[in-house]
Amino acid sequence: MGSESRIRLESVGRRYGLRGRWVLRGVDLDLAPGALIRVEGANGTGKSTLLRLLAGLDAPTEGRVVGRPRTAHVPERFPAALPFTAAEYLTHLGAVHGLPRGAAARAVDEWLERFGAAGHARTPMSELSKGSSQKVAVAQALMAAPELLVLDEAWTGLDATAREELERAVAERTADGGTAVFVDHDPRRLAGVTDATYAVVDGALVPRAVAEAAPSAGAFVVVEARGPAGAEPPAEAVRLAASVTEAEGGAYRFGVTEPRSDAILRALLGARPPWHVVSVNLRETGSPR
Amino acid sequence: MTALLRYEAALLLRSQRWLPPVVLYAAALGIGVQSGQPVLDSLGWAAAVLLPVAAWLVRICATNEPPAARGCVGAATGPGRAHLASLLVALCAAVLLGAVAVGVVTVISDPTGTDRRTPVPIGPASGAGLLAVLACALLGTAVGALTTRPVLRSPGRAVPALLLGALLALVVTGSPARTAVSALVDGSQEATVPVPLLPVAAAALLAAAATAGSCALTTRRSP
Repeated sequence: MGSESRIRLESVGRRYGLRGRWVLRGVDLDLAPGALIRVEGANGTGKSTLLRLLAGLDAPTEGRVVGRPRTAHVPERFPAALPFTAAEYLTHLGAVHGLPRGAAARAVDEWLERFGAAGHARTPMSELSKGSSQKVAVAQALMAAPELLVLDEAWTGLDATAREELERAVAERTADGGTAVFVDHDPRRLAGVTDATYAVVDGALVPRAVAEAAPSAGAFVVVEARGPAGAEPPAEAVRLAASVTEAEGGAYRFGVTEPRSDAILRALLGARPPWHVVSVNLRETGSPR
Repeated sequence: MTALLRYEAALLLRSQRWLPPVVLYAAALGIGVQSGQPVLDSLGWAAAVLLPVAAWLVRICATNEPPAARGCVGAATGPGRAHLASLLVALCAAVLLGAVAVGVVTVISDPTGTDRRTPVPIGPASGAGLLAVLACALLGTAVGALTTRPVLRSPGRAVPALLLGALLALVVTGSPARTAVSALVDGSQEATVPVPLLPVAAAALLAAAATAGSCALTTRRSP
């Protein structure tokens, strides 16, 4: 596979059945490598159809899809009705995604660990909770570092830590040059890192200004904190922060997207020994990218 | 493709949904084949009853995954390739089953024609049996591919269509399966071993066409 790593929709239309209603029509979309795209729209407007077209699960009725990057898809609800353990399923899927079997087995451990599901590796899929099987679905998509990541409400059912980890993983993937397209109910999801937002309205794809799409997008918090003399910033805080700069007097400035401000404060105050928070400032402009 | 085939094969084996068709096949062989019967007649029966079993195995393999899991694999490889892999695994399972049956039947049967006197060479007879089994497995795969997802999606229509299709594939004049089986039965009466290559080629063409059609449909039907 791995033909062309950039995907483009050219006046794509899709309807089901010969006389069916047009679910999508005249959709043009060019996804550059590294782009992180949000798709919005009311239920039943064709968001999922658009994602299926991008994932290659559906063929357009008219127009064409040019290019087929290595693609991974995370469905909204991942069923547990598969006769494998989580690790067996993921090893198979890693190989299907093109990883050599050894690398697939290592990636399974790494990604289950990352989503806090390492303890479920040997659990049969049919015994996994809804949240845990969603973690398997997410791990499946991320483990082979796809060029195109299609997330259809992938956050649904995940616990708070896993939701955050998934946001981070998606941001990492796009930082490494992958493209990601997602649908999610939460307007704060990946706010501040999203490159463009589109809405599906009456079967057409309408670009939306990022600010209009998510009021908190671009909101950026700068936390200034001071640790014990000569101490490095806590690893957790560095992980959450979009930027870390040294300020005068042994203090550090952590730039963080607004949704993560609580988490970074928790990380600073909870560090051992704890850090002293000097100031917290909200900046409306600026983006962590 | 190798990884995909391994995944589909593991899915079939682990799901244990292969058990009912295999039991059905064993039962059908138990009814129609007894030790000491003329070998070509028994091979004909073993081939004929494999056809519905192959169609059933295709149905199992094509519907083994929940739709969301199918989407994950489909995005990675293309839904057409994923469907192709499931059909190939079903065909291989059917051929394997048929080959085992041919082995058992050749061992327990009487190496003679229907008259019970004229000898029939056992090697060529089992070769003819394998060819007939192949023809029936291929045609069964074609029937299965045309009567399951994505061609027919509601089980209420798909299952009767599968049964009817399998029956027609066995009785309609000119069907490769019927030709191959008749060749064995006629050969038994004359105590000559046929080489049913033509029916195998015809069945392979039909199976390839049905497979190509159903794989092409995977991205064109609603989810």
